Amino acid sequence: MMTMNKVAAYLASTAVLLSVAVTPESALMLQLLPEAHAIVGAPVTPVSVAGVARRTTRRTVAVASTTAASQSAAQAATAQQQSATAQQQSATAQQQSVTAQQQAAVAQQPAAAPAVPAASGQGQALPLGTVVPALPAGCTQVAQGGVQYSKCGANYYRAVFQGNNLVYVTAQP
Amino acid sequence: MRFRTKCRKSRHLAGLSLGLALLAVAPAQAQGTGVDPEAARILKRMTDYVGGLQQFGLDTSNTVEVVLHSGQKIQFTSAAKATLQRPNKLHASRVGDVVSQSFYYDGRTLTLVNPDDGVYATVAAPDTLDAMIDFARDSLDVIAPAGDLITTDAYTRLMADTSSGFVVGKSFIDGVRCDHLAFRGYGVDWQIWIEDGARPLPRKYVVTTLALGGAPQFEISMRNWTLTPDVSARQFEFTPPPGASQIEFLPVGNAGAPR
Repeated sequence: MMTMNKVAAYLASTAVLLSVAVTPESALMLQLLPEAHAIVGAPVTPVSVAGVARRTTRRTVAVASTTAASQSAAQAATAQQQSATAQQQSATAQQQSVTAQQQAAVAQQPAAAPAVPAASGQGQALPLGTVVPALPAGCTQVAQGGVQYSKCGANYYRAVFQGNNLVYVTAQP
Repeated sequence: MRFRTKCRKSRHLAGLSLGLALLAVAPAQAQGTGVDPEAARILKRMTDYVGGLQQFGLDTSNTVEVVLHSGQKIQFTSAAKATLQRPNKLHASRVGDVVSQSFYYDGRTLTLVNPDDGVYATVAAPDTLDAMIDFARDSLDVIAPAGDLITTDAYTRLMADTSSGFVVGKSFIDGVRCDHLAFRGYGVDWQIWIEDGARPLPRKYVVTTLALGGAPQFEISMRNWTLTPDVSARQFEFTPPPGASQIEFLPVGNAGAPR
């Protein structure tokens, strides 16, 4: 589960972009490549020469540690982990369907990524701290303690910037 | 780290033989000795010039490539406007695109705004533009495309991991005669087109990422440079529009608690 989160977080962190030329693609790219399997091997293009060495190193490390974590998770293979993974995948599938609606022109591309199980409903609670690039459909706005949350099924999300990308992270109001 | 050390060593070895050939002409340079001195000179003239501009505005057009899992390449293009005032002010807005976003830096804080989403995030930032660009990249993963080109120490930044470079020749960008330079660095090739004349401004910049499959490119065209832009301190300060929500940045490398 954490592994998937890390990969998702990692994708967003490599999906740089902004400023002297605020570039936009980030959110779009996240929707384009929302699924963990599509990320590894298709990270996002650096937009600056400075720091590429450091970022490449970090990317390599992140992918490597992710792989190691997946392997150990697979070895452990508890029912709990499997169910958590299934939830994550269903969240991913939801994202893909959002993508399909929003990005008709490129919707085929995420569909070409490795298959994920069909969405199994939005009702399942995701672990806190799960990062998604877009909210599922049918959310309601809830303000609590001065913070805006989107309540979507069993989950509360709050908007955050991950680099230049607006993403949503599951939270406990 | 070990890998990079190795790379540097081999670069030095390669540089040794090249250095012999270039001994007569090569001035003392911070970069690898595979850089043609004329390419270095033209680049440094640009970075000194831009670094010395106290304020400027420009329009940019950016293209980023994404390589799909299938190997298919997709390009995304956007336009932006930026205004900069040294030592510590920057405002940039992406204009006319799918996701609009603005960036404000007033010397004290940095703000990222998605107007259409009604959200913004503000954090304390270092008090110089150069330090802010590093802070934004390292602490927030917010990266200024081509931010390399506008810092006062841009030459050092660009050359830090660059091992070779040469002058391709003259070329026209948006009808302006430019020197076209090509460099090779750590994991990236990059090219830059610099206005040939009294205003050595960058006109185009391309970064090719060799380390990624399909070698995706980032390309930025810079036009409508104005060296006497209409600037007021207020344009660098962000005032939240009514109803906008303040949000946070996720810490770099952490999917969990926002900072």
